Amino acid sequence: MRSTTKSENLLADLALLVGIGVVLGLGYNTLGLMEGADWGIAWKGVDQFGEFVETGETVAAVEDEPATGYVAVSDDPLAPPPLPDRQVPEIPDAGRPVKIELKAVKQLHAADAALFVDARETWEFDEGHIPGALSLPHEEVITDPERLEQIDTGGRPIVAYCGGGTCEVSLTLANELILTGHPRVAVYMGGFPEWVGAGYPVEGSGAGQ
Amino acid sequence: MSGLIHKLSHPALVRIAGIVIGAVFVVAGLAKIGDPETFAAQVHNFRLTPIVLENLVAVTLPWVELVAGTALILGMRRRAASWICAALMIFFTVAVAQAAARGLDFECGCFGKADSSTVGLKKLVENGVLSVVALIATLRR
Repeated sequence: MRSTTKSENLLADLALLVGIGVVLGLGYNTLGLMEGADWGIAWKGVDQFGEFVETGETVAAVEDEPATGYVAVSDDPLAPPPLPDRQVPEIPDAGRPVKIELKAVKQLHAADAALFVDARETWEFDEGHIPGALSLPHEEVITDPERLEQIDTGGRPIVAYCGGGTCEVSLTLANELILTGHPRVAVYMGGFPEWVGAGYPVEGSGAGQ
Repeated sequence: MSGLIHKLSHPALVRIAGIVIGAVFVVAGLAKIGDPETFAAQVHNFRLTPIVLENLVAVTLPWVELVAGTALILGMRRRAASWICAALMIFFTVAVAQAAARGLDFECGCFGKADSSTVGLKKLVENGVLSVVALIATLRR
């Protein structure tokens, strides 16, 4: 009888503590969602990739035409700046990272029309990376937003990649890049292994191997 | 075995274990409360929760951690608080283990943005040790 009462007390206490936590959490988030507060998130989660714009398929439509990048239209220094080649895939300002696939990645790279950022660790980057990529080791930059803010993309969109497969640090990095003021960011989920597998050029100490 | 449990259930040891694990939970809770958006993304990475519930988990779980941790430090509803911490700690350990086993490579989000370590053996050992401490906090003579 005594142990029944004890376990009832334990259950009641468990419910009380969990209940207080849940109520505080819901209350705090409600306050955050109210006008004027800058915290608080939507009640329902969304699939982070579900709403992504797929740029890869769009690019596939311009079959086998090598991207030529920016075309100089005139020698006149007063001439308007060159327009990007239409064959270069466009990374939209979607308010969140978009997904991008190998073909589109390659076209952007060939045209030098995007800044490539490598979210892997420094030693992995040193061993081999997509030529021209900037090393932004996820673990270092995630707590250093200033470093991300200072990145000069030269007006180009950003393509973030990492070790491919289920590696999601590039997605987190891409989200951080958007939060730090870079609107057009794509995540290349195939990552470095797919790039190497496709036989594309590599830079780094292990590049010749 | 029962001798070991008897030794581990020394009131002073249980109290210290409670304060340690309580402090860990308070710090972890506060770190996540500060940035629910990032924590929601980290919850998503574990692929354990239906997508629609991920934000709700991110909104409420850190507060449950904070309340349980505070109660444990203060010695209020200590038994229930210690069981909540132990259950959560074991759950986190299993979550990290399954993520590592599936080859997922992402930030564990264990301390929100303050901890950028990825899931893996080191995190698993860390969580395993904390689980043992949390279980010691549940003991009593």
